[in-house]
Amino acid sequence: MKTTLLHKILCYVALILFALIWIAPVATAFDKSMAINGWKNYQYILTYQKINYFQVVGNSMIVAVSSAVIVGLITTLGGYAFSKLHFHGQKAIYLMILACLAVPVASVTMPLFVTIKAFHLIDTHLGLIIPLVAFNAPMMLMMIKNYFDGIPNELLESAQIDGASSFCAYRNIMLPLSGPILANVLVLTFIYTWNDYLIPLLVVRTDPKYTVTLAAQYFMSTVFQSPTDVARIYAAMLLLSTPSIIIYLFSQKYLQTGITAGAIKG
Amino acid sequence: MLHRKTDKVAYLYILPITLLSLVFIYYCIGFTLYSSFTDWNGMSPEMNFVGWANYVKLFHDKTFFTAVKNNLIFFAGTVFVQALVGFVLAVILKEKLPGTNLFKTIYFMPIAMATSVITGIFRILLNPTTGDINQFFRAIGWNALAKSWLGDPKLSLFSVICVNIFQWMGFSMIIYYAALMALPEDVYESAKLEGAGFWRTMVSLTFPMVRNTTDLLIILGIVGSLKTFDIVKLLTNGGPGRSSTVLNTYLYEKAFTNFAAGEAATIGICILIIAMLMSVAQIKLGESRR
Repeated sequence: MKTTLLHKILCYVALILFALIWIAPVATAFDKSMAINGWKNYQYILTYQKINYFQVVGNSMIVAVSSAVIVGLITTLGGYAFSKLHFHGQKAIYLMILACLAVPVASVTMPLFVTIKAFHLIDTHLGLIIPLVAFNAPMMLMMIKNYFDGIPNELLESAQIDGASSFCAYRNIMLPLSGPILANVLVLTFIYTWNDYLIPLLVVRTDPKYTVTLAAQYFMSTVFQSPTDVARIYAAMLLLSTPSIIIYLFSQKYLQTGITAGAIKG
Repeated sequence: MLHRKTDKVAYLYILPITLLSLVFIYYCIGFTLYSSFTDWNGMSPEMNFVGWANYVKLFHDKTFFTAVKNNLIFFAGTVFVQALVGFVLAVILKEKLPGTNLFKTIYFMPIAMATSVITGIFRILLNPTTGDINQFFRAIGWNALAKSWLGDPKLSLFSVICVNIFQWMGFSMIIYYAALMALPEDVYESAKLEGAGFWRTMVSLTFPMVRNTTDLLIILGIVGSLKTFDIVKLLTNGGPGRSSTVLNTYLYEKAFTNFAAGEAATIGICILIIAMLMSVAQIKLGESRR
């Protein structure tokens, strides 16, 4: 076809143009963070006294990994029951949980804060993990249940004849088959909880419990006047986003299919 | 169904997720509804019933309507640009030219970066005097474009929307991309045979075929707009004045700065009603698809 070459060139021009726009902010941040003092700015942030970088990343890691694992566990269990078992109120309870899909945490901030406080979870990791799990689980449950609906019942029926309990069927049949969707759920929950700002804002009170998002806010709100300050803030932002970018690069396939699965099927 | 009889053990499996929804979502929604009829300050246990007073006050509150308007502008601006750019990029990515995966990785990356980090970078980039964006405009001689992006009430919401598009465009792109990959190839073959070019195919064939996806992105755009909090709080804190205040930042301000948790709850109820309707719309849209 005669248009092929021109068409290809036009496609690449568009792709590169948009890529430049999307790279520019991060590239500028990196460029400016190195402009004065170079790597010393990174050293400065890494050895900063008030906000310990490694502790902050550690906190976010504990919260995001725990949330992802708990969400994975309770949604596969729940998804299995809603998809393959039979009980009274099944549809009603499922819809009740799904109705929470779009509930913004921000709309219930004060009651949520009071609830977390009532459980004595203020300024604890658990105080972050439990609400994050609660608010992320409905969407993940929907993904898992849709996926389980696609697994033929015959597979489970044969297990039933063999006398396997429903938990055995869950552990030996459903879990091994849920590999791809479980990976989506784990990665998606990890990224969403790692990036959450509002719940840490409500729960965290002291510096040692700061998460990555709160640390970013802290560095951003420090007074910046001199180019050195700017370089250091840029360095802080890049350092704080490095862990999630690395995880993204290794798991982007799951994140992308996860976002699609979470949105497209009902 | 697999079993004719009831599986009692099923209740055990759904217990954790049901309990969490009840305690942390439904209880909080109920609490919000209840407190919206009281003069609760959010701190003391004292709550006096005041009837519809908070709602009456809310519907006479100019700031509330400014916030509603800003949420609508935020929704419209974000969804329109994101869907347009996302769709075009998805169509190009579908061509599967060599190296397109790298581009996909780039466009999608801001989603893996926390909003607080992205706003941190953009706060400096958008600084009127030292910001790199204005320095760039001055360097190429477009001084008139070197604006006070976050400090000018006419521009603040626009800037917030732009940063939001930067972060979430990859989301629209990837959803369109998935929808495009699911389209039957033979339709394209016949379009090609009839001599339809790339752009013509895109406008009159592809776009109508992903109509459902566009509807979905509109619903998710409304939901996203209702969830909008951190990007506004961290970029402009709703200012200058009320120029970029959205429902959630106004609610937060009422609850945690003005100690008017009862009044804040009325805003929460308004958000929740729309959010629940959107959940239903999303579920219905998913069902019609199958």
